Amino acid sequence: MTEWLERHIPKMVLAPSFIATLVFVYGFIAWTAWVSLTRSRLLPKYEVEGLIQYERLFASPRFDTAMMNLFIFGTLFILISMVLGLLIAILLDQKIRTEGVLRTIYLYPMALSMIVTGTAWKWIMNPGLGIEKMVRDWGFESFSFDWVIDPDMAIYAIVIAGVWQASGFVMALFLAGLRSVDGEIIKAAQVDGIPSWRIYSAIIIPSMAPIFLSAFIVLAHLAIKSFDLVIALTGGGPGYATDLPATYMYAMAFSRGDIGQAASSAMVMMAVVFAIVVPYLYSELRVKHD
Amino acid sequence: MARSTTTQRKALNTAFAWGIGLLIFFPILWTILTSFKTEATAIADPPVFVGFEWTLENYTAVLERSNYARFLWNSIIIAGGSTILGIIIAVPAAWSMAFVPSKRTKDILMWMLSTKMLPAVGVLYPIYLLFIKLGILDTRVGLTIVLMLINLPIIVWMLYTYFKEIPGEILEAARMDGASLREEVIYILTPMAIPGIASTLLLNVILAWNEAFWTLNLTAAKAAPLTAFIASYSSPEGLFYAKLSAASTMAIAPILVLGWFSQKQLVSGLTFGAVK
Repeated sequence: MTEWLERHIPKMVLAPSFIATLVFVYGFIAWTAWVSLTRSRLLPKYEVEGLIQYERLFASPRFDTAMMNLFIFGTLFILISMVLGLLIAILLDQKIRTEGVLRTIYLYPMALSMIVTGTAWKWIMNPGLGIEKMVRDWGFESFSFDWVIDPDMAIYAIVIAGVWQASGFVMALFLAGLRSVDGEIIKAAQVDGIPSWRIYSAIIIPSMAPIFLSAFIVLAHLAIKSFDLVIALTGGGPGYATDLPATYMYAMAFSRGDIGQAASSAMVMMAVVFAIVVPYLYSELRVKHD
Repeated sequence: MARSTTTQRKALNTAFAWGIGLLIFFPILWTILTSFKTEATAIADPPVFVGFEWTLENYTAVLERSNYARFLWNSIIIAGGSTILGIIIAVPAAWSMAFVPSKRTKDILMWMLSTKMLPAVGVLYPIYLLFIKLGILDTRVGLTIVLMLINLPIIVWMLYTYFKEIPGEILEAARMDGASLREEVIYILTPMAIPGIASTLLLNVILAWNEAFWTLNLTAAKAAPLTAFIASYSSPEGLFYAKLSAASTMAIAPILVLGWFSQKQLVSGLTFGAVK
């Protein structure tokens, strides 16, 4: 009996986590997928009607804006966070004495809820109180920074706060990557008198390709899931200028009472995530099996 | 000569790094400062950075007018409860994957982790309906379960990476000496796993504490934690910056302090163990 137990315990103890993930994630996604094919409005219906919800979705100018915003936000957010993160990582790599404390400070934005830190950002970006006001008071009367209330620019205001939140995190990832590069090669290059910017650009950074990939994946899925950021800063406004797919879905499900639209937009987001994550996971798994 | 330039360079780098640190910390610092100002000073023109009269009136106002203690209590119960529950379920799973791996272990692990990447909106509505049916909408129990479930893959994965670092030879030696599975787990694995479990615990408490998507969607008045409190506070009273700042400061203070005293765990936790 004990022997049988010892042999099967590993599988038995893994089962709860496995089943929980399976049911909780895939089971409920299946439900959402099903409902996205029905005429559900205020209440879910279960007669499959085809792609009607998706037709409505892609005809909706609001969802169009949300997808466009995701594209703008995602691209800028990933690009700027990566560049800043890398630069700060290289700076911290210069044997700075208080590195431990600084790393924590750089990571704080990621450790705090954006819903809460959004308070400060609202103040900073408020034209009447924050940066615009300050610079005007310094004598630059024509200075303007009212992105957060300008429908055309509000999404860029969200990019700023997003970059603030994520670049310290990316820095920490890159710093780990910089540290993992073989010290001997760097020493050899230094002995040869190669300037340090060349060492970084020709030796260290190219050898960090896997870290770039994982940073990209993490940032990309953060961008697609972004919800708190928009809720905290603009609530999706002005109008629906800063809607992202996640806030669109939220609005459809809870204030518009349109479950069908909510479900179909969730499925579209899912498809975008899959398009990015699946190739990555596939390549990861292949590497590990070889 | 060369030496003095490098010292200078180092000082410059340090100053620069601190400059960036200040820039990053500014919004947080600003919130804390504003929370101690009167409403008039908070929106003063030009903004006052130092030398204002410190006041606690915002804190007393927030505490008096809202049921802050209840939101705080909800946050503690939900973040703590979901973390402990998650760890109880995940420790055996991670143990099994790390020490009794099968051919599929890596696949299962990657698969579990991949679910974390999927947008939560995909499962929001069915869970919402299920909660209504079960009568656990806007309850701490419901939210604790959901937060446990969404963070479970991360907990399993983090514990797995920590367990992986425990050398297998020690276990073999214990087995040679005739230790049973139970003794092996209690006397050898647990003490060695405590630092890893602590890091996981910390990260998960932070993640659950900050969680806004689920808390905003699944709670209303009764079970709402601090994130929901801030969100509700900022809409109707959006212009009361000092009071909003006081509420915000009270919501982030635990994490600021916790993070400061466990810097190592914070860094390694937030980077999912990439940085030790």
